[in-house]
Amino acid sequence: MDAASTVRDDFRPLIEALLAGDHAAALAETRRLSQIGLSAETIVTAGLEIAMQQLDDKCTVESFNLLEIMLVGRAVSAVVRELYPEGVPPDKSRGTLIVATLEGDVHDLGKNIVKMVLIGKGYRVIDLGRDCPVDTVVAAAEREAASGVLISGLISTIVPQVRRVRAALRAHGLDAVWVVAGGAALKQLVATDLDVDCVAENAFDGARYIEQRFGETKP
Amino acid sequence: MPKLDVLVRGNRHCLTFQPGPSLREILDRSDYRVRSACLGHGACGLCRIRQLAGDECPRQPAELLHLSKAQLADGIRLACQIYPTTDLAVELINPAAPSGWHTPPAGLSVAPPSLAADRPLPGGVCHPYGAAVDLGTTHLSLAVYDLLSGHRLAERWGKNPQARFGADVVTRLMAATEPDIAQALAFAARNAIGEAIEDVTLREGLDPQRINRVTVVGNTAMLTLLAARNHDLLLKPAYWTAAVDCAATDGASWAAAWGISGSAEIELMPPLGGFVGSDLIAGLVTSALIDGPAPALFIDFGTNSEIALWTGDELLVTATAGGPAFESGAGSCGTPAEAGAVFRVTEAPGGTLVYRILDDDRAKGLCGSGLVDLVACLLRVGRLEPTGKFADGGKLFAFSVGEQEFVLNKRDIDALQRAKAAIGAGIVALCATAGVPLAALKRVVVAGLFGRYLDIGNAQAIGLLPLLPAAYIELAGNTAAAGAAALLISRQAQEMAERLRSRAQLINLAHYPNFDDAFLDHLYLRPMQEN
Ligand code: FES
Repeated sequence: MDAASTVRDDFRPLIEALLAGDHAAALAETRRLSQIGLSAETIVTAGLEIAMQQLDDKCTVESFNLLEIMLVGRAVSAVVRELYPEGVPPDKSRGTLIVATLEGDVHDLGKNIVKMVLIGKGYRVIDLGRDCPVDTVVAAAEREAASGVLISGLISTIVPQVRRVRAALRAHGLDAVWVVAGGAALKQLVATDLDVDCVAENAFDGARYIEQRFGETKP
Repeated sequence: MPKLDVLVRGNRHCLTFQPGPSLREILDRSDYRVRSACLGHGACGLCRIRQLAGDECPRQPAELLHLSKAQLADGIRLACQIYPTTDLAVELINPAAPSGWHTPPAGLSVAPPSLAADRPLPGGVCHPYGAAVDLGTTHLSLAVYDLLSGHRLAERWGKNPQARFGADVVTRLMAATEPDIAQALAFAARNAIGEAIEDVTLREGLDPQRINRVTVVGNTAMLTLLAARNHDLLLKPAYWTAAVDCAATDGASWAAAWGISGSAEIELMPPLGGFVGSDLIAGLVTSALIDGPAPALFIDFGTNSEIALWTGDELLVTATAGGPAFESGAGSCGTPAEAGAVFRVTEAPGGTLVYRILDDDRAKGLCGSGLVDLVACLLRVGRLEPTGKFADGGKLFAFSVGEQEFVLNKRDIDALQRAKAAIGAGIVALCATAGVPLAALKRVVVAGLFGRYLDIGNAQAIGLLPLLPAAYIELAGNTAAAGAAALLISRQAQEMAERLRSRAQLINLAHYPNFDDAFLDHLYLRPMQEN
């Protein structure tokens, strides 16, 4: 799909600000679009989703470095917080997902990007934050009846924790919960190594996998 | 610097050297070593070379003893007896077999002179030697000392062969969850120490049976893998701020395998805890961090980087993953700071870049300091943006050094940015925890071989070091190796290590609330700023 062809002109400045990682400009644009009467949903679908689609296309050719991606993630977070100060209303949700950065990892911008992509796609997302023990992930998956768990890891010390997730879910009878891992430290590993369903190349890749699985379960 | 032309097996190589050491010492740092079997005092007569050009210094008594009239007339000399000060050309007529063990690029593992050889001697050998080992993730260094006099006799430096199981500590720790691989990792490290001992004793004519104490420092992962004990604990976050026991349990069999004295004491200096190893303690001993001006910061740049902050009252330490960018330069064009590494890049008038190579004329790649220089130069001329993007939107910078061509990718710069950010965030976290503003620092000790060749101005320009007067910044070299030597010979050093151990507080960066912001700030290639 040629994402550029679907860009609405009035959304161009927002998309550009997001991709440049300029969160002040992105916020200003978001406010302007809200003031002229556009709904939060429209801003997400015509702005955030398109920006993320374009970032996705660029990410696959590896022309973005970590800093640029983090800056975009920050700008997207700021816009979502502006649009939904109370969080995304659950009734619009297409399913529940857990995102977390596991115990020991101090970086959660990667996780925040996945969260934004998933929210942008209309899922209910429970964010367990960073430095999160595996047991907390399992408890949350059970309590929230989550369909999937997405784990991000930027540093390689996290790999052993990631490997424990599936077994811990199973021990609570949560065999059907999908486990997706992504992030700098994890993406060079294969799914069987980590005992997960999918090792995502980036946040978009992870979100695509989730969509595909939802597609299989609810045809 | 004077030039040294070396003709070996029909190939000519051009090195540069700093006058001071003997020709043999200069060659020992390069890939072109001569045979030898003595400490270089003219006893073995093996280090023969033919002088082809350059100033002729008078024949020394050892040369007259070992060389025939015909040889002398033919320009044959003993490399250990010549101390060149000007350009020289020589032919290696008795080259040593290529080996992974070299003299370190500069005499880095010298125990601080203030720490005397006052440790009680180990029994069993009269006039014993000791070996100080710094077992790093990438390199291993070993120095042999006379335990009685405290003199350093010789040292060796080579690669840690565990690298084939993974470049970083965590990959190796994970591999070691398979018992077979744990055995293989332990064997690789032990065997490397044995090889270094063999190379140094054979080439320097030292009796290995006189080695009666071996003191090893290293990061926690390296020590547990060497001891083949408790390496599994490091994979559990609960142990990242806890003590990890990695004492050698079977020293006698190690001593036998190394061919050293059967009564040798084998000491693995215990780590501080978590990923903060005894290499940091050794570094802090070398720099006497808690006895100098405060507040003082100590940064050991490496694959596993360790940082300490001494406030004058408290000692805060942490470890952070640096990645290989510092020790081995950037991915595709990187190389360790050894012979053949581009270690310095400067701009000549007119904007052309000038590359300087360590101990060789053929560039193998950029080492960490060369990478910092090149990135700083590219930023200054506007080819690179502070975000790490090329100004022209491109993905690489191609350059050539002599006949060798290299490519610096955006991804290589990203690796440097990440490594820099991990350390920058670590520094900020320690300073914030202790309430010390960056600008208040009175001393910054930069350790690691990478730091040895670092250009302070360039390092500050990209935000690798705090913006402080250059006089506050010390490039201390391999302080872990020097500290291992101090701990080997000196009781005072051992006592200081105990003091450090009792004062140090391990900081878990995961618990620093602003870590993300600090990390993001330090991804930028720009001078470090106070938050
Ligand atoms: S005589 Fe020169 S090294 Fe032995």
